[in-house]
Amino acid sequence: MPWCVDWLADTPLEPHITDCISRDQATFQCWWSPGNFHNLSSPGALRLFYIKKDSPASEWKECPEYVHSNQECFFDNAHTSIWIPYCMQLRSQNNITYYNEEDCFTVENIVRPDPPVSLNWTLLNISPSGLNYDVMVNWEAPPSADVGAGWMRIEYEIQYKAINTTKWEALEMQPQTQQTIFGLHIGKEYEVHIRCRMQAFTKFGEFSDSIFIQVTEYTFPLTLVLVFGIVGILLLGMLIVISQQHRLMMILLPPVPAPKIKGIDPELLKKGKLDELNLILSGGGMGGLPTYATNFYQDEPCVEFIEVAVEDADTGEKEDNQGSDTQKLLDLSQPVSQHMNIGFSNVVSFPDDDSGRASCYDPDLPDQDTLLLMATLLPGQPEVGKRAMAAERGARPLVHTQTEGPQTWVNTDFYAQVSNVMPTGGVVLSPGQQLRIQESTSGAEEETQKKEKEHTGGEDSEEDKEKELQFQLLVVDCEGGRYAAEGNAWQIGGPHSAPMPGEGYQTIFPQPAETTPAATAEGSQSPYILPDSPQSQFFARVADYTVVQEVDSQHSLLLNPPPRQSPPPCLPQHPLKALPAMPVGYITPDLLGNLSP
Amino acid sequence: MNRGVWAVLLWPNLLASSVPLDCREEQGILSRCPSISQEKLLDRVIEHAELIYRVSEESCSLYEDMFIPLQFQRNQVGYACITKTLPVPSSKNEIQQISDKWLLHSVLMLVQSWIEPLVYLQTSLDRYNAAPEMLLNKTKWVSEKLISLEQGVVVLIKKMLDEGMLTINHSEQGLLQNGVQPQMLESVMRDYTLLSCFKKDAHKMEAFLKLLKCRQTDRYNCS
Repeated sequence: MPWCVDWLADTPLEPHITDCISRDQATFQCWWSPGNFHNLSSPGALRLFYIKKDSPASEWKECPEYVHSNQECFFDNAHTSIWIPYCMQLRSQNNITYYNEEDCFTVENIVRPDPPVSLNWTLLNISPSGLNYDVMVNWEAPPSADVGAGWMRIEYEIQYKAINTTKWEALEMQPQTQQTIFGLHIGKEYEVHIRCRMQAFTKFGEFSDSIFIQVTEYTFPLTLVLVFGIVGILLLGMLIVISQQHRLMMILLPPVPAPKIKGIDPELLKKGKLDELNLILSGGGMGGLPTYATNFYQDEPCVEFIEVAVEDADTGEKEDNQGSDTQKLLDLSQPVSQHMNIGFSNVVSFPDDDSGRASCYDPDLPDQDTLLLMATLLPGQPEVGKRAMAAERGARPLVHTQTEGPQTWVNTDFYAQVSNVMPTGGVVLSPGQQLRIQESTSGAEEETQKKEKEHTGGEDSEEDKEKELQFQLLVVDCEGGRYAAEGNAWQIGGPHSAPMPGEGYQTIFPQPAETTPAATAEGSQSPYILPDSPQSQFFARVADYTVVQEVDSQHSLLLNPPPRQSPPPCLPQHPLKALPAMPVGYITPDLLGNLSP
Repeated sequence: MNRGVWAVLLWPNLLASSVPLDCREEQGILSRCPSISQEKLLDRVIEHAELIYRVSEESCSLYEDMFIPLQFQRNQVGYACITKTLPVPSSKNEIQQISDKWLLHSVLMLVQSWIEPLVYLQTSLDRYNAAPEMLLNKTKWVSEKLISLEQGVVVLIKKMLDEGMLTINHSEQGLLQNGVQPQMLESVMRDYTLLSCFKKDAHKMEAFLKLLKCRQTDRYNCS
């Protein structure tokens, strides 16, 4: 009984077998100890004998292989039998046998496999709460155990614990070489080791070396987010820039307006071609700047045109007032302007103060209106006049610069002289032109009137009168005869240049009963400038108003020819240059200086 | 204990996978047994052997815990097991050196030698007053499975070795080795000896069959 031995303290501990272990079920080792018999501790003092009870006639044999340094006896494959009982025995030099029946065994029952190798772990997942995680541990079978051939069936046991604890947690034994550990805590460090044994046997092998598992908290990768965010924004910006390239170019680098004049080849605007430019601008090329000139700048979306004012410089406010007044009087839409805007492509001279307007914006007038405008430039087309709409813009007298074919003059009078104002409020208009054949009487009257005016106009200086007298406006009416004896309308003709043949104009005849030329003449001290020129033979009576028909290439006004007995050749009598585009009756004194015979 | 429960629950599975003996493949008689490949048959046989060993080991542990409390008593049965007339290889070297035929025949011999003693053990345990129910069930299960294992091995021999159907001779053999300690003739010790010896032999069967399988799959790598 073992307890008996311990109880008897003075009983020496005799040599005994410490342990016998097989690692691979094919070999095994036995260790002994001399116990208290220290004199037997020297190598060779104790000898180990064994017996293999496989037959009744088996005998004791000595250890096949000693390892004295370890006090160990090693049984190799040849000396190892499975399922056969072994008994161990120690013998000393003097044939004292130390035998214990407990030292009998069968080899499969003493198998303790080596610990598994290559233990490592991988993270499986982290719980949604972020507090726990699962780990997959895997390893390999001990190389000494012949598991592949099926000689040994091994099962494994994993044990783990937190670092600062003492109690190991054991998982269920299983023969696979991997196992999952569930429910580890984030932040804690765990120690894991493994051991194994033969299936359906009791003795475990040694534990393997421990591995350590730790998973720290998941930190939001702020730097990564920042980097990706910046890269994303940069890409977006580049995408926007590339897609909106043109717009950005427009915003950042607007096109610089270069000199561009409508109707003029941009090549001419370059340096060194001033002569041609002057030629074109003065109207010599094609009889004036074509209204519908070739659009050299068709493909440029935003072209700012320079407006070239075709009219003389002196025509200023008067045209404005007169135009508006006449328009109101005549209720004609004469939205004509002296200023010809060359700036608008496809838009003909439209009264526009804003000469710097770019062509990006819509033209001020649709084409329909421009056509009407142009038509109304030729005063003498009643249908046009009737069609003409009221001017949208401020009405100005338009000096039409068309070079279109002469149009038949319908007797449309732009200007009508107010002969008398009736008490009822009506306005008596005298016809603008009176073609009188029998001019003698009227001529006499005129003379008297002239004299009267000379007298009445004595306020003026002699010089002015002279100037007045020198001024001659010839109104030639080639057709003539239309205004025969329609009252004594004052007619003042003067030499003017290049009347168009076949021109005439419509007069608004005043009410005959109320228009007595004499009375009206007296009432209105219109400063008629009566022609007293050597060329007076051309006309007996001059129209009160001269309608400017057009402006020729030299920018001289072509007025209506005065009425004559015989249709005079429509020849310019006295081409006047720098002639203000106004009827005779509205010559201002300061303009007299500009007139020269 | 868990393994015991699991093994008991697997009864129907094992019964279903057992190979009936009356498979006739001649004269066009429609055989009732499905044909099975050699590898599958060997696997099934190995499964049987593994299970039998496990259950026998659990039975032995149960018996030890109840009836054999002292260690020295447990150690005494080590060499009281019967020896066979036909020497069975007992070391790994020997097992690696013998042929497939020898291995199979050894397995068959082992199986056949234990069918009778287990029946005897069953009757002996039934006479106990305090034998646990689980122990009785296990031993009963083992004896039944052993018969299935015998059938499987016979068919395997026929397939692998092309031998004819072997006659099943259950020769009467002494359960205990003659001349060993007489005190072991007590029924408890006798039963325990039976159980432990059977456990050992079941382990043998399993090892032999596994080595045989290793040879079938990869002959040169089986150490």
